[in-house]
Amino acid sequence: MKANGIGGAAPAAWLAIAGLTVVVAVPFVAVVLQGIFPDLGQGSFSGPFSSFLSTLGDSALIGMAGNTILLGGCVVLASAFVAVPLGVFRALYRIPFAPVWDVLLLVPFMIPPYIATLGWIMTLQPRGYLQQVAGFNLAPFLFSLFGMTLVMAFNTFPVVYFAVSRTVEAVGARYADVGRVFGATPARAFWRITLPLSAPGLAASLMLVFAAAIEEYGTPAALGRRAGFQVLVTGIDLRITDWPIDLPGAAILSILLVAMSLVTFLAQRWILSRRSYQTVGGKPTDKDKRPLGALKMPVMIAFAVVSFLATGVPLLAILATALSRTISGGLALDNIGFANFIAVFSNSAGALSALVNSFSLGIGTALITGLIGVMAAYTVVKTKIRGRMAIDVMTILPNALPGIVVAVGLILAWNMPWLPVTPYNTALILLLAYCCILLPQPVRYTTAAFQQIGDNLEAAARVFGASGLTAFRRILLPLVFPSLASAMLLVFALASRELVASVVIAPVGMQTIATFIWRQFEQGSIGLGMAMAFIAILITTLLPLALLMLLRRSGLVAE
Amino acid sequence: MLKSLKSITFGVFAAALMAGVAHADITVYTAGPQSLIDKLSAGFTKETGIKVNVFQATTGKVMARIEAEASNPVVDVLVSASWDTATDFAKRGWLVSYTSPNAAKVPDFLKTETAVAQGISALGIAWNTKSGTPKPAEWADLTKPEYKDLVNIPDPAQSGSSFELTAALAGQDNFKVFNDLKANGAIIAGANAEALNPVLQGAKAAVFGAVDYITLNSKAKGENIDVIFPASGTVIAPRPAMILNWSKNQDEAKKFIDYMLSDEGQKAVAGEMLMPARTDIPANRPLISDLKLLKYDTAAVYGKRKETLAEITKIYGGK
Repeated sequence: MKANGIGGAAPAAWLAIAGLTVVVAVPFVAVVLQGIFPDLGQGSFSGPFSSFLSTLGDSALIGMAGNTILLGGCVVLASAFVAVPLGVFRALYRIPFAPVWDVLLLVPFMIPPYIATLGWIMTLQPRGYLQQVAGFNLAPFLFSLFGMTLVMAFNTFPVVYFAVSRTVEAVGARYADVGRVFGATPARAFWRITLPLSAPGLAASLMLVFAAAIEEYGTPAALGRRAGFQVLVTGIDLRITDWPIDLPGAAILSILLVAMSLVTFLAQRWILSRRSYQTVGGKPTDKDKRPLGALKMPVMIAFAVVSFLATGVPLLAILATALSRTISGGLALDNIGFANFIAVFSNSAGALSALVNSFSLGIGTALITGLIGVMAAYTVVKTKIRGRMAIDVMTILPNALPGIVVAVGLILAWNMPWLPVTPYNTALILLLAYCCILLPQPVRYTTAAFQQIGDNLEAAARVFGASGLTAFRRILLPLVFPSLASAMLLVFALASRELVASVVIAPVGMQTIATFIWRQFEQGSIGLGMAMAFIAILITTLLPLALLMLLRRSGLVAE
Repeated sequence: MLKSLKSITFGVFAAALMAGVAHADITVYTAGPQSLIDKLSAGFTKETGIKVNVFQATTGKVMARIEAEASNPVVDVLVSASWDTATDFAKRGWLVSYTSPNAAKVPDFLKTETAVAQGISALGIAWNTKSGTPKPAEWADLTKPEYKDLVNIPDPAQSGSSFELTAALAGQDNFKVFNDLKANGAIIAGANAEALNPVLQGAKAAVFGAVDYITLNSKAKGENIDVIFPASGTVIAPRPAMILNWSKNQDEAKKFIDYMLSDEGQKAVAGEMLMPARTDIPANRPLISDLKLLKYDTAAVYGKRKETLAEITKIYGGK
């Protein structure tokens, strides 16, 4: 049952539509038009569809598309394999040091994928850190589909882990206990009751992982090319940056990527639409978790191993590189120096302003995407407004748009000569780009949360005389707030490290953390880049944690 | 809530307006290094009072931005890392003819009517001195068994100078050296910096055709690395600076080119371990006159770009 016509829906819908139009539709339409009209950049609409044949007729296309799906599928499987068991244990059992594991499993998300990849390369390649410490290297494993899958899965599995642990926790043991009362074994109760009821969170997070994997540029570019493994994103990047530049071709390939992501999205919707997942009904739930018992050791070992591989290895590699006087000096006591960190703090090459820029943009992006996201999710899940499907689709489009294509779309849209004012060449264009790229995160998280809230809660508030706005503010918002807050923190972290779009679209004279690091790498100053990366990871991890702690103390977020 | 929303919106628009009004005097798009353009623009502003706004990325990314901006371009001066850009833009009629008075000491082959070199880099063998391999002297040395699986080649599809080296060498012996390198376990390893990084750590011993100034800068920082320019010849990559014809600040742009070619500007170029374009400015590194250059017809080489890259892809695999 969906609540119909409860007031307060219309403002939410309008806000969502307005936000989505500016943030998503404008650049997306620009990209589609560029695909159709090859000379759009010169302001001309001549020769429609003339680029389709040459782009789609490219014999390498099928291989690239196949590789993209293969890689996305592998990363989804690997992430689920690592994250689902851990998430379920975290939700249902009393895990010793649970908050510590949560933090350790959060960090991989704060490590930019290109940095993590470089860390893995410097660890596993011949004469890398592993060989310097242990005497052997694993280079053949790294430069393969297997290596790519592993590096990318270790980067994305936290999405699944946190989604699973949160939704399973929300479902709680109550429903499974009912099953147990009726004679189901614990395993059967889990497989037939708890896991299916947690499907919204699981499906949403797996879809995010798939979309992130097919859209990811850094890892396939660094590891895949050596294995002869080309994906669509590397193909798109080549078209955009190889002279003569082929913007229409890149646009067409991007539309293909978006189509892939839409298919997975529709599949996810189809799975979810088959039944109701409402488990938050206003009845008090028993939050008491069970003890682990005999499983204690194996579960602790699993948490430790995953934390070490996902967080420890990349962080240690980053730190080792940042602390090295010279890369060729290797891991030696006399090669340790703090010059790189000192350089960052003395604002060398604009390091400090890059930090300030990125963090301001990150906060702005989190606020805007959070607002639009919660409105869009509410409209889609809790109202019956016509066209809500269109809103839902719009929130998913950017998921598979490669960052560089978003950047090109934004330039095409906002640099038109007849615009009286434009955000282009100001910091606002970066804000727009980040909002576009990251909007799917809060939308997907809050959608999953709204789907678990029974309609009768809002209805009850309305019966007792609350206005639509009050019901939303006092009942629904607090219930989705944990999901919304974690999504916004995620957006903050992701926005403050975004690279691919930033490199192309950054206004003149403005640096962000990622462009700073990338420039250092380009000039061979790997150590300085890594020092910056380490500081950025530290801040993006600690700032949200401090914020969560404050919120908890103020009682806004219950744990 | 609505009120604060309104004020935020207002603030955003005000910021956009201000940003639109506070335009810079000239806008320079440049391929790296960042520290060079920082020094040049600071010196230029100090001398002329004209503010410089800079966008710095790789040549590819700079070009992508110019292409996407084509309907409403903002760039006044472009410094590319590939001479090909100057040729192509001149053909499109996008450039302003200008010969700086300071360009008198720039050799003729480093200037045209519409472009002049800022500085020059050359390609060489970047070799890890602690790799336990003998010091290579020639391109073909890297096909010897001592360097089995230890050689990186920058991707010719991602770097203009790397492409020219590939085309020039392949033209001499019909891809023999590249076939031999492949047989010896060499790999194509991304753009210039990606190819160099494993050599610094020692995973590889040498880069076949590394950009010299990046490697020389690493050496100056104390890395165990050296650059060898083979006696059989190498290629150079002059970095053309040009003024775009849509620029509304052409006089200021011309002054920037003058400053770039002044004693002070050229010393800044030399300070980045690049070869200065002017022959009368000293530099602490081998200069063009010290290098033997491979002979090839640039126009013909770029005419066959697709075929050359396809052949390389065929040799080194990939789909």
